[in-house]
Amino acid sequence: MQVLIGDVVRFYFGSTAPVDIVLRILFFAGLWRILQKSGVKGWWALVPWAREYQLARCAHREPEGRAYCITSFASDIAVLILAVVERQRGQIEDVDTLTIVFLVIGVSLELVWIVFTIRVFSGLIQVYGLRKRWLWLCLTSYTIWIPVVVWGFVKSYQPRWKVEDLRELMESLATHGSASVLDQGLTVNLKDRTVTEFFQKKVLLKDIHLSIPQGHMVLLLGGSGAGKTTFINAVNGYEKANAEVMLNGADMYTQYKHMQYEVGFVPQSEMMQGKDTVWNTLLDSASLRLPMDVTAEQRKKRVTEVMEIFGLEPVKNNLVEKLSGGQKKRLSISMEFLSNPSLFILDEPDSGLDGVMARELFEQLRKIADTGKIVIVITHTPDRVIDLFDDVIVLAKDSARTGRLAWYGGIEDAKKFFQRDSMEKIVKAVNRKEEGGDGLADEYVLKYAEVQYG
Amino acid sequence: MAEKKQRMTDHQVLVRHRGRIAQIPIYLGKQLRMFVYQSDWKVIPMSALIAGLVGMVIRKRMFINMEGSLMGAFALACVGIWNGCFNSIQVICRERDVIKRMHRSGMHITSYVFAHMVYQAMLCLLQTLITLHVTRITGIQYPAEGLFTRWFLVDFGISMFLITYASDMMALWISTIAKNSTTAMTIMPFVLIFQLVFSGGMLALPEWSKPLTMLTVSNPGLKVIAAQTDYNHKPVVTVWNAIKKMKDSEIGGTITVGDVLDKLSDTKNKNVRALREIEIGNVLADAEQAAGEMELAEALELVGALESAGVLESAEALELAEALESAEALELVGALESAGAATEANTMQTEGTAATEANTMQAEETAATEADTVQAEGTAVKTADSSPAAVSGSVTIGDLIDLARNSEEMAEFRNQGITLKTTVGKLIDFVGKKAVKKTLQEKLAAGSYNPDYEYTKPNIMIYWSRLLLFVILFAALATITLEFIDKDKR
Repeated sequence: MQVLIGDVVRFYFGSTAPVDIVLRILFFAGLWRILQKSGVKGWWALVPWAREYQLARCAHREPEGRAYCITSFASDIAVLILAVVERQRGQIEDVDTLTIVFLVIGVSLELVWIVFTIRVFSGLIQVYGLRKRWLWLCLTSYTIWIPVVVWGFVKSYQPRWKVEDLRELMESLATHGSASVLDQGLTVNLKDRTVTEFFQKKVLLKDIHLSIPQGHMVLLLGGSGAGKTTFINAVNGYEKANAEVMLNGADMYTQYKHMQYEVGFVPQSEMMQGKDTVWNTLLDSASLRLPMDVTAEQRKKRVTEVMEIFGLEPVKNNLVEKLSGGQKKRLSISMEFLSNPSLFILDEPDSGLDGVMARELFEQLRKIADTGKIVIVITHTPDRVIDLFDDVIVLAKDSARTGRLAWYGGIEDAKKFFQRDSMEKIVKAVNRKEEGGDGLADEYVLKYAEVQYG
Repeated sequence: MAEKKQRMTDHQVLVRHRGRIAQIPIYLGKQLRMFVYQSDWKVIPMSALIAGLVGMVIRKRMFINMEGSLMGAFALACVGIWNGCFNSIQVICRERDVIKRMHRSGMHITSYVFAHMVYQAMLCLLQTLITLHVTRITGIQYPAEGLFTRWFLVDFGISMFLITYASDMMALWISTIAKNSTTAMTIMPFVLIFQLVFSGGMLALPEWSKPLTMLTVSNPGLKVIAAQTDYNHKPVVTVWNAIKKMKDSEIGGTITVGDVLDKLSDTKNKNVRALREIEIGNVLADAEQAAGEMELAEALELVGALESAGVLESAEALELAEALESAEALELVGALESAGAATEANTMQTEGTAATEANTMQAEETAATEADTVQAEGTAVKTADSSPAAVSGSVTIGDLIDLARNSEEMAEFRNQGITLKTTVGKLIDFVGKKAVKKTLQEKLAAGSYNPDYEYTKPNIMIYWSRLLLFVILFAALATITLEFIDKDKR
């Protein structure tokens, strides 16, 4: 029992020496206060491994905090195993080799842990607006308690940045509504799309309800991190959300295996085999996307047709990697066009293209929409081709870092709603201030919800 | 609800896309094109080059002796692992984006991985054929007949193929874990080192790490090849070669007559007992005759008998043989003579040949031993105050030994030290080159016997099964890992 208590004390305080225990308690107390000052619950300071993560959050270094936490955990486990092996010395054969193995692992982890300690405490120094020389005190276990106690208990030391409680914000920005299902068109009723990262649930998208009729070409606008790609993946069923997505009356989620051929998604980067020929690339796509009952001859005919539509006939035997940027984009689109999908989604199809080529491409997309298909396009340079679009979807990242619907409707109505004369200005209006925007996302999200659902 | 269900059914009936099996030819065709366009063909000449290099090193040893066979087995297992790993380490990670896109367009991961399995199997088979052909050209003497088939090369080819293929699938799995080629190539050396260290055949591993060898392809790979070389029935040559290299090294030591006599008095040993019971007749009636009959060859025979009986260690036997051969026999006779067994010759102070005369025992350059110098230190029996003890009837060797051992008059003689000084080569020549070589090889081969390398059908089948299990396991892991490819962004 005494041994067990000794082990627990050693594990928690790093030593059984009274001086070390006292220093460690001071460290915990200072840490408690630092966490409180940054808006995090103080008791996290007492939870092994989690305190490292919470401290990193206070230092505005959350990504490092995950590695810091994991390294700390792994390092402690290695030390624990080492202690067990040490205790059983003489009972296990070749115990020395085993000890060496864990010693090497433990030392390696300890070194990584030191690196992350430096990173996190550097962040904390920045958050508190202090001089870097403080970092020297953070490098050893005998001195680290000094800065922690000072920053925690001295009132003049206050963090310039605090961890936000996003839950409260999210509740204050809650909106509700729904879109009526269209028989011919796309209906999205998305309640939320969440992911759990490092034991934290993050809401990526929330309350997006809209219906797009057939034959519409829709612009999807939004700043960086607003959730455009997440929204597209949720719409085409690739990453399911808490939502109901209906395309021409069929549920995208429950019938995904069949409906995935009804959606053509053209990714931002080409994502094609560079060492294959244009003809073979299209033929493979046709084999994959066209139904089983389509004969080989029919497939080849369809490939030839599509190549003619997108002007790829002259380069049919060229390797994909030898094509120009515009040709690659057209090939990428034609791969999806082969199966004649009802919904076409393009992620920045004009990236890397000059104005003329981009215009030609969007005109081609307009033609596709005119055949009764829905075309949704993400672009960061919409104004040069805005006349070709019917509607615009504006996604905005609210204060809780969640992608929200700030507008869905006609182009001119959008300009009136946002009181801006171009799409780029609308994006600027909803972008966060630290991203160079006006930081009006919350305002427009609530305003749109009010206009739409009352 | 009913309407929705109807729509779903209509959709399913109207449009049916390719299933898992039907998709395989699409990707297989793509991979075969990549073989040509993406320079995947380079692994073929590379395998020939590697096989050539390894073949040159192991050609004169593999299938010939134990060490060469084990080394060759390790080298060829490494060739297979190397080929397999480099076939597929980059194939998935380099086209991760393409896979993602195809996956959302309806590609089944199982079909994709299976297509890779088929393609990689073809590649591995080709490399195996090349490896066997090249190693044959370099001069490795493969046996003609196999255990499972009429052709040994077919049996051996199966092993090489399975090693290559299992490694290939392992690298394929790594390729699914790594997000890009750089990461994959960073992981690769660690995997190779792990395979080499924990192969369990070449490096002595601590006991606790033995289970780790079960996780390596190299372990069954090495064992199956070693077994197919018939390792256990090959001679060990390293020690003999080392001894040959030491032929000019001088060796020596001191031994007393008493030590020899003690060995020959150990009656608990049945072989010694048998030796001691040998009758030598009334040979001691005449000292001259006794000396003559106590020929060196006879003495050496006795020593040989003792050695083979396990009474004496080889080194001791050699020392004893020399001692006997040079002087002791004569001294023994002299002592017996002086003790009264002989009728003539009180004091033996003779120099020259061993058979007749020896007083100061400096038997130099005796013909039988060819020892460089055998310097018997001390003096021989100088005097022999004879108290005539007539020997009547038959006398055994045991009697003689006991006499020499117990006689107070021979105490000085028993303490007499003999410094032996010779070279390893001459010592071996003395005992007999062939005999030494044969004994060494047989005893070391028996000591190096490893049941894991036994050339039997069940043994080989076990290793093949283990390699096949690795193939299935890694392919399954690759499929499972790749199923999460759509989570990449998060």
